[in-house]
Amino acid sequence: MKALRRLALALSAVLAGASAHAADVAGVSAREIVVGHVSDLSGPIAMLGTPVRDGMLMRFDEANAAGGVHGRMLRLVVEDAGYDPKRGVLAARKLVQRDKAFAFIATMGTPVVMATMPVVLDAGRLHLFPFSPHKATYEPLHPLKFQNFAPYQDYMEAATRHMVERGDYRRSCLLYQDDDYGQEVMRGVEAGLGKLGRPLVERTGYKRGATDLSSQIARLRAADCDLVVLATVVRETVAAMAEARRIGWQVDMLVTASGYSAQTHELGGDTVEGLYGVSVLPHPYAEGANPRLAGWIERYRARFGVAPNVWSVMGYTLADMFVRTAEATGRDLTPAAFARTLERIEFAGDDFGSPAYRFSADDHLGNRHGRLAQIRNGRWELITDYLR
Amino acid sequence: MRRAAVLRPLLAWTLLLALAVASLGADFAFGQATLVVTYAIAGLGVVIIVGQAGQIVLGQGAFVALGAYAQALLVQAGVAPLPALPIAAAAGALGGALASLPAGRLGGLYFGMSTLAFALIVEELLVRWESLTHGAAGLVVPAFGLAGWTAGTPAAQAAISLAVLLAVLAVCARLLASRLGRAWRAVREDEAAAAACGIAPAAAKLRAFAVGGALSGLAGGLYAHWIGFISPEQFGLVFSFELLMLAFIGGTRRLAGAAWGALVVVAMPQLIAVLRDALPGDWARSAGLELMLFGAVVVGVVLLRPQGLADGSGR
Amino acid sequence: MLAFLQVLSSGIAIGCVYGLVALSFVLIFKATQTVSFMQGDLLMLGGFAGLALHLAAGWPLMLSALAAVLALALLGAGLERAVLRRTIGQPHLVAVLLTFGLGMMMRGGVASVPAAAQDMYRLPFAADTLELGPLVLAASHLWVIGATMVLALLLAAFFRHTRAGIALRACAEDARSAALMGVPVARMHTLAWALGAGLAAVAGLLLAPITFVHLNMGFIALKAFPAAVLGGLTSLPGALAGGVFLGVAEALAGLALPEGAKDVVPYVLLMAALLLFPTGLAGGRGGGDGR
Repeated sequence: MKALRRLALALSAVLAGASAHAADVAGVSAREIVVGHVSDLSGPIAMLGTPVRDGMLMRFDEANAAGGVHGRMLRLVVEDAGYDPKRGVLAARKLVQRDKAFAFIATMGTPVVMATMPVVLDAGRLHLFPFSPHKATYEPLHPLKFQNFAPYQDYMEAATRHMVERGDYRRSCLLYQDDDYGQEVMRGVEAGLGKLGRPLVERTGYKRGATDLSSQIARLRAADCDLVVLATVVRETVAAMAEARRIGWQVDMLVTASGYSAQTHELGGDTVEGLYGVSVLPHPYAEGANPRLAGWIERYRARFGVAPNVWSVMGYTLADMFVRTAEATGRDLTPAAFARTLERIEFAGDDFGSPAYRFSADDHLGNRHGRLAQIRNGRWELITDYLR
Repeated sequence: MRRAAVLRPLLAWTLLLALAVASLGADFAFGQATLVVTYAIAGLGVVIIVGQAGQIVLGQGAFVALGAYAQALLVQAGVAPLPALPIAAAAGALGGALASLPAGRLGGLYFGMSTLAFALIVEELLVRWESLTHGAAGLVVPAFGLAGWTAGTPAAQAAISLAVLLAVLAVCARLLASRLGRAWRAVREDEAAAAACGIAPAAAKLRAFAVGGALSGLAGGLYAHWIGFISPEQFGLVFSFELLMLAFIGGTRRLAGAAWGALVVVAMPQLIAVLRDALPGDWARSAGLELMLFGAVVVGVVLLRPQGLADGSGR
Repeated sequence: MLAFLQVLSSGIAIGCVYGLVALSFVLIFKATQTVSFMQGDLLMLGGFAGLALHLAAGWPLMLSALAAVLALALLGAGLERAVLRRTIGQPHLVAVLLTFGLGMMMRGGVASVPAAAQDMYRLPFAADTLELGPLVLAASHLWVIGATMVLALLLAAFFRHTRAGIALRACAEDARSAALMGVPVARMHTLAWALGAGLAAVAGLLLAPITFVHLNMGFIALKAFPAAVLGGLTSLPGALAGGVFLGVAEALAGLALPEGAKDVVPYVLLMAALLLFPTGLAGGRGGGDGR
């Protein structure tokens, strides 16, 4: 038993040692700022995860090439959680305790965000711009919590209202993915229609990864809808349009920002012509781009071997906001100082056509507005300004 | 049991924990330890079903899910976490029994099929029964607490998990030495012979699934507190396969194997991440690399020690 | 009525894909007693192989498809030679874990290609529709149904009239007697895996115009398990019929039953089938072989 007691003593000594050094700001040294990113590179939203990460890497590299932020190099530490909260929590703990990340940026996926956010906030680190439409990412107000993307509910309420007024639709319907994303959209569509005093005539769901939407479309057609709102992602958007056109149903459809992707018309071709969509950020088309955007697209393609998409722009923009805020904060970089600066800065539009992002001391949601777009001649055209 | 048999693994585990604390930092190491221990409890369920009774289960994750949701809902309704745990275990037991029921007469691979189907149905139910489970939006679970004290630190969480694991191991050891344990092993070795000896194979198998489900349900109850947020998709097929791997690596015959298996299953993705970071240049960026390495490890383990499950189980 | 027919046609088409995957699973299971959990990954790999040959290497579409199926058959045979034969005589769980691991490696391998991880692709065939009076059928669906029928006939002929087919059947019925009769059992196992992998690739290519080619397209293979069980787990025609039945049941459930029922129908059917018809809906022999 003596051996055991000695072991216990050694153990407690190690414990004491481990908790001793906590003097400086975590993740900020004379030479470096560490930023953590819990991504999904292998799970259901890996198609977003990869371009978002690449966009951020590109912006950080640019900042580093220009001498860093007040002489400090930016280092993005990426962990893949694959949309699994268990892996997310482990990744967040690793980033907090071992990498000493100064801030967490763009955590991917609602389950991962909900599971990791307490770990991040309890450790006193910044939790910036997660990819989750959950209200908890900015409400209740927390000094370290900032969100860039409104819940789908907000975008879709305005978009539905605008669409229905514009086209005077009487029988609006909804096709939704039966997860948190679909639920959010449903609430927004219902709220938007409610304000106009019109009902949601029919709604029908499908499971993520569903292969066949013919029974859902048949249901909607039987309800005689004149507008179908799609809470779908790219593949199901194309499948829904193709199925409707196949059975000769020329109904107008409006897809959320998740279906606003160049892939929608690349895959759908003629069948998706005329589809309406909600855009929060314009897609970076190389054709007809202004010279600065064209240069950016070229650099991205050279670096990563694929064309950038709207998610790459998103990642780049988020990293850009981080860099600009860190620069404006000055040499004494602490989470609190960073947060105070972020509350003051105004991020006006940029080369990409992003909306203006603005936070304040009592509102940590940067933007609530999307705009309408339509697929015309095989590409998305913006047809309204940001909807208020 | 002899003292050495208890002392040696105890020393090994303590040493391992000390090493982890020293190299990874206390909070991180205890956080890891919590997860390893919780996985071990869930994996014990697989050890009972696969290793002791010789059946196949492909949907163990669903039993963990039932336990986790039962625990979360009870705590939300004002029940204290500790008394809620047995109910979480009961939910898992019920799931185990239900999942195995359709294949009861057929056994073998059919158990794999029915438990797989059961797991997929449970996942869909958790998504659809929104008024109860909040569907895909998930449930936030408060920290584990006891009479005013809450287990907020990783060390406390690890201690509680460990206490539960040790209790469960003791119960299981007694169970295996009992009539039921002998019946399981008899069914595993030769069903016809077991029946000839007056053992009812169908009943023995049903009980194995109920006990296996209960263990995983109990682990689910703890898991809900440790992760703090549960949603239907986190208990899917991959989780079920992780638990199978765990039992396979640890060896399905010995109960303590579950802990070693859990250590490997929890640590492996992180070791792979370390390995990935060590690779040069663009290789490290590749999303598929980790998946590929994990698959390679699975294949390697199965090929290197197929006798981990050999003679008698699952066939 | 029209809506019913439209939905029915999609149900049959999707059901054919389920059936093909189930067929590949049962073929392997029967011949080698190996439970394969990677048919979905083989399906995905087949889709990407066809895509790579057509889009990246510029081969004609049909040639690429054929080459993809052959490549996958070779892969299946190679894997059998290299690793899968080690599971023979081991408990089912060994094969389940091994194939699951191999499937992960395939997914990881495809995901390592940036273009494959980020985008989905369309194989440019069968995009049009066919009008029969008021009924409009998708060409892609007709393709699936037609190709499945042709494949089924070819397989039937193979098993009935060729030496290899008869030997494979003998091997599946009773490996020991087959070996005594001079059937090269090990080669038959390789052949079974080649056929199983090739069939999965066909399913992937047929699915490509319906769901596009992407990393997660293999998840559809989960539906092959209920299809196989409905068919009795050891019957090839049963697996195909089970798949079609499942596709139709699913589609009609989506039309008639409340929200969400569609997604559990296959698994509820699986459990019901085990309870009520343990030897498959068609009845007959061989239910106990699944043990």
